[in-house]
Amino acid sequence: MRILDITTIYDKILIIIVVIASLIMLLIPFYYFRASEDDELYLIVQQDNQIVREVPLADSYDSPIHFTVEGPIGIHHIEINQGRVRVEAPPNDPLKICEKTGWIDRKGPVIICVPNRLSLWIESTNSDIDGMSW
Amino acid sequence: MKKTKKMVVVALLIALGLVLHLVESIFPLAALIPGAKLGLANIVTLIALVLFGFVSAFQVLIFRVILASLLAGSFMTISFYLSFSGGLLSFLLMYLAYNFSKDKLSLIGVSIIGAVAHNTAQVIAAYFIIENPGIFYYLPFLTLFAIPTGFSIGLVSHFTIDYLPSSLKQGVSK
Repeated sequence: MRILDITTIYDKILIIIVVIASLIMLLIPFYYFRASEDDELYLIVQQDNQIVREVPLADSYDSPIHFTVEGPIGIHHIEINQGRVRVEAPPNDPLKICEKTGWIDRKGPVIICVPNRLSLWIESTNSDIDGMSW
Repeated sequence: MKKTKKMVVVALLIALGLVLHLVESIFPLAALIPGAKLGLANIVTLIALVLFGFVSAFQVLIFRVILASLLAGSFMTISFYLSFSGGLLSFLLMYLAYNFSKDKLSLIGVSIIGAVAHNTAQVIAAYFIIENPGIFYYLPFLTLFAIPTGFSIGLVSHFTIDYLPSSLKQGVSK
């Protein structure tokens, strides 16, 4: 096969190294962010390196919580529903990455909007390692 | 190769890279993984690197990134800096990989190095803007994704160089 003739042994070693390094990096958050039953989860909203809002996710089980955060390029609508969080991007956000991230409901994933310097993530009250440690 | 001819070919490569850069934004890969993309424009950078070496390939890269951001209206904004930092680091590493281990790595390996470096540089640049280490959560997904994209981009570059007219390939050791 021609494709296999092109790739050298060092190509294959490189691919294997990248895969292994990626998998190790993938597993680190799962190790640190093991969910335990009695954790109380909080949503942290950070903008410009300042925490602008903290919301306990438990409050959203009765009725959904909506609020907005304003940044340099527009207003983000943040929705907390049944312990899950998502963001609606402002219309002039070029990539809308924060919106495409979808729902987050556990520690680990972060919703990020780089143009608006906004990030949201979930933390628990009794974790001795916070999101900053890694 | 004549100076004028080289200039024309470099200009054509910049134009091609510009089109590929804009076509790339049609594919909604960022919906899959935030920040993921195919890296189609990297084909042109790789070809320029093989045909002309460091200086011309660097010109192709810099002009492509600046012109693409001017066309998209994002010049000197955050997405320009992300694209610029990714392009710069991936170019430097691809140059080093191509120049110093040409006999060991094929263009596919060089392209994978470029793709991984691009993602790493972008995530690091985004970290300096947003100042939240949680963004590194996405890095392993991006580097895993960089393998199929880098592989196919390297393959495309390899076969494209095969089909280029031989007058362009003077000085290319193949």
